[in-house]
Amino acid sequence: MSAALFVGIDAGSSATKCVVLDAEETLIGHHVISSGFSYPEAAEIVLEQSLFQAEGLREDITQCVSTGYGREQIDFAHRHITEITCHARGARQWYPEVRNIIDIGGQDTKIIRLNERGRMADYRMNAKCAAGTGTFLESIAMRLGIPLADIDELAMRSKTPMVLNSYCTVFAGTEVLECIKAGKPRDDISMGLFRSIASRIYEMISAHDGPVAATGGVVAHCRAMVRALEERLETKVLLPPHPQLAGAYGAALLAREYLTRPVQTSRAAESITECKG
Amino acid sequence: MPSTAIKRVEIQAQNRLRTLMRDYFLNLDAAAKDPDRQVAWCTSVGPCEILTAFGFEVFFPENHGALLGARKVSPEYIPRAIGIGYGSESCSYMNSDIGAALAGESPLQEIYGIDGPPTPDVLAYSTNQCREVQDWFSFFGKRNDAAVFGICPPSHLGEVGDHHVDFVRGLLARFIKQIESRFDKRLDWAALEEIVALSSRASTLWKVILDTAIAKPSPITFWDGLIHMSPVILMRGSQAAVEYYEQLLTEMRKRIDKSVGAVPDEQWRLYWEGMPVWPKIRELSEKFFDLRTVIAASTYCNSWAFEPYDGGDPLAWMAKTSIEIFINRDERFKQEFLLDMFNRFSIDGAIFHNARTCPNNTNSRFGMAQRLRDELDLPVLVIDGDLCDGRFFSTAQTMTNIEAFIEQLEDRRS
Ligand code: SF4
Repeated sequence: MSAALFVGIDAGSSATKCVVLDAEETLIGHHVISSGFSYPEAAEIVLEQSLFQAEGLREDITQCVSTGYGREQIDFAHRHITEITCHARGARQWYPEVRNIIDIGGQDTKIIRLNERGRMADYRMNAKCAAGTGTFLESIAMRLGIPLADIDELAMRSKTPMVLNSYCTVFAGTEVLECIKAGKPRDDISMGLFRSIASRIYEMISAHDGPVAATGGVVAHCRAMVRALEERLETKVLLPPHPQLAGAYGAALLAREYLTRPVQTSRAAESITECKG
Repeated sequence: MPSTAIKRVEIQAQNRLRTLMRDYFLNLDAAAKDPDRQVAWCTSVGPCEILTAFGFEVFFPENHGALLGARKVSPEYIPRAIGIGYGSESCSYMNSDIGAALAGESPLQEIYGIDGPPTPDVLAYSTNQCREVQDWFSFFGKRNDAAVFGICPPSHLGEVGDHHVDFVRGLLARFIKQIESRFDKRLDWAALEEIVALSSRASTLWKVILDTAIAKPSPITFWDGLIHMSPVILMRGSQAAVEYYEQLLTEMRKRIDKSVGAVPDEQWRLYWEGMPVWPKIRELSEKFFDLRTVIAASTYCNSWAFEPYDGGDPLAWMAKTSIEIFINRDERFKQEFLLDMFNRFSIDGAIFHNARTCPNNTNSRFGMAQRLRDELDLPVLVIDGDLCDGRFFSTAQTMTNIEAFIEQLEDRRS
């Protein structure tokens, strides 16, 4: 197959994702792997796998945008765009009416507000801290020696979730141990963890209006996270078909758009001449 | 991404600034070693004109705190201050400065070959900026067995009334008496008038220089301002400061005539609210440079832009200017000030720095950023950080935030 392909690479702190679109913006290939030690290596692998799925070749790539924490290390990308813009673009494509996007990533959590025209009106990232991010869950799961998937299972069975007072990973871990010592049910302790993240997010998004969508690896893998968000925000949370691919999907969509839309800062123009497509 | 594609145009006056700074610190060092001369420490908008009129050489510890931050050495010293009981979230200028003193180290040793901050004979602070300076100066007063005098004016003012000015004038008059009795000196009032006139002249020139950034492209950025504001703080009341700013203003006007922007191909004009992130000045300025973005105005650099002195009572002028400063005003005044600045400088967006250890110079904690965003439909970004303490700043996260902010502006314009 030989066609114009548009590629988005999201080099995130935990996972690297790739999305391949055809000229009609149909998602025809995607892949996710752990970012490991090297973003460029992870990007090569996800690109190769996604192209294989899309039945495309490297020469078919018309434009590639990289995003995520390691975006600037992806040499073959034509442009580097922040994950904030890319997540907003991806979520909007799936849900044109969406006004609020919650992206819970490995290292940071982002809240993005869109205006009625779908433009980014405002955004916030968590402060320099693991509270409210995937790292919070991962480190407590590790401390308890229970896989995250099991914690999700347990949490979904909770009837009276525990309230964790601390957002801090270290203090919350201690609180969890105290609850275990006190014989609290594991289901309720597990749901308490998701509720802690939801409370932290609530602080960042409390004044939301309009539909809310959630993206990122945590909501992709943990149903309990979506439930905790819905309970705390008292609203339905839209979950796109591939929550973890939202950034890469948005990047691929922007790759397509930037073919026709000039970029205003020469930052991007500069990188275009430097990057080897 | 390189920051070298377009060359920065250097400000010529900075060669002279280097000489001025060297002379200033060498003079302080000499004064500290001379038994016939005396050194005073003063807060940045404290009663320095009075101290100068009494013949003291004046040193500003906040400048030293900023230097420790900019030289990225604060992390070595802050733990020492914490170790003797200062809070880990207390002013990081103070903690850096105290820690450096405990270590017996200072970047001034390497830069100017002097012993470090000059030993004070007297320390004078004004709480017009914060109460932290009271404890900071008390530490050094005790350590050096030197007198500490404080001026505690009314704070967080809306309107500044005559009664406020009269009250603070009284505090300054009492301060003069305290110095006279402690050092057996008499104030030379004619000298004070002259110093106040020079102080006002330097400050007025500084304001005109900052206002040249109204031009498009702007000839000066916040990052330049952080370097070139030194004379208006350290050498306030001297002829040298006035002459320096005359030269700098001429250079800025030439830039405007020739449409030379501090950031070539200027695309975006932003406002910086709050303290600088001293250890990251270079990285941040390069990032904005790459993004073709000029920080055209800031609250911080405008903190030393006072109203002109009309030749009347010098104490009344000092009293008024010391309580009229932004940091000493209420939320409503601050909001109006920012609105006016955003309009005058044609600002596309505002960045609020939430400095963890300086709540006093942080204005995003009472809804200000959101109110301005909603009222003006102006993009605002709040970044978490600190003036010196790197523990509270994430470079990667902040850079992503800043890039996303510019993408937001691009998206709005497209
Ligand atoms: S205003 Fe802030 S930075 Fe300055 S001395 Fe006070 S607390 Fe420290």
